[in-house]
Amino acid sequence: MAPEIPVIETKRLRLRAPELRDFAPYAAFRASDRSQYIGGPNTRIQAWTMFTSLIGQWVLRGHGRWVIADRKTDDALGTVGLFHPDGWPEPELAWSVFEDAEGRGIAYEAAQTARRYVYDVLKWTRLVSMIGGENARSEALARRLGCAPAGTFEFPSFGEMTVWLHPFPAADDVRLVWDSGRQVYDTAVEKGAAR
Amino acid sequence: MKAYLTKSPVIETERLTLRAPRIGDYPAWEAFYASDRAAFIGGPGGPGPAWRALCHAAGMWVFLGFGSFVFCRRDDETPLGMTGPWYPADWPERELGWTVWAAEVEGTGLAFEAACAARDYAFGTLNWSTAVSYIDPANARSVALAKRMGATLDYDAARPLSDGKPAPLVYRHPRPEGL
Repeated sequence: MAPEIPVIETKRLRLRAPELRDFAPYAAFRASDRSQYIGGPNTRIQAWTMFTSLIGQWVLRGHGRWVIADRKTDDALGTVGLFHPDGWPEPELAWSVFEDAEGRGIAYEAAQTARRYVYDVLKWTRLVSMIGGENARSEALARRLGCAPAGTFEFPSFGEMTVWLHPFPAADDVRLVWDSGRQVYDTAVEKGAAR
Repeated sequence: MKAYLTKSPVIETERLTLRAPRIGDYPAWEAFYASDRAAFIGGPGGPGPAWRALCHAAGMWVFLGFGSFVFCRRDDETPLGMTGPWYPADWPERELGWTVWAAEVEGTGLAFEAACAARDYAFGTLNWSTAVSYIDPANARSVALAKRMGATLDYDAARPLSDGKPAPLVYRHPRPEGL
């Protein structure tokens, strides 16, 4: 198992381990209607269990979800990464963005980066995302990521979800570079720009 | 900052090994969580909540630097239960908790042995100055274990919000002798 959670940076974002100070924005997200397609809205006690389990999956499986943080302020904007409860047919790339981060392409940038980690570092060649309910925003992001519906999956407490298959290799132009020992991904937007 | 995932202690007692949760514990945990034995800790529940709950226990170690231990017999890796420090968001104070997953453990004194070792760890290694256990009034086995450990009811202590469930009893633990 990896002894630590990797940190990945893009032009605007930092994907990093969840930290205690992220709980307040996470709980606010979980208390809002924005979490309606992923089991919410939730009480603070439920949100704590969900928040702590973000890091617990890293402990148990060696992979999991990061907090999407603003690269400048380090404030939490959402979560992205691999979600793999026992009984899931395969790990999925999952994403959530908090209200303040909506409409800025942050989920797209974070999901692209996490996908690149899955393909380049974990060396996986297949990746799916599960989307439940009438979650039009999440479906739009899946399409923007080049995903296509590839079946359905039903799980107790989540109901029926559509399995969206990611393209492999991905057409997006994100590349891995190293910066002071950190894995850093440049997005297509900044490719060629001076660092 | 990097979050380290593998730093957690292992404790040995006369008959038991106590260690942080592992992926291999999940089948036994899921079976426990689906059974009536989990009625006092939020169950019975299906695989979704069960998975989240084990991840919660594993993740607490990383967030707080302490957490609960899964206990097994020293010569057998079958997980029997979980016990130790428990301190979720909004908890009034630090708790010592326990769950006994396997019915065959009842009557063996193993839960008592494990919980005492975890309590020694909390007071001795983590330097806790006090600890409570929140117990559903209907959970007679758990109340009996708390009493056997020398814990006594603390009527004045704050109680956690319980999401609509009955307010728990608060048992306060004595500081173990010699610590």
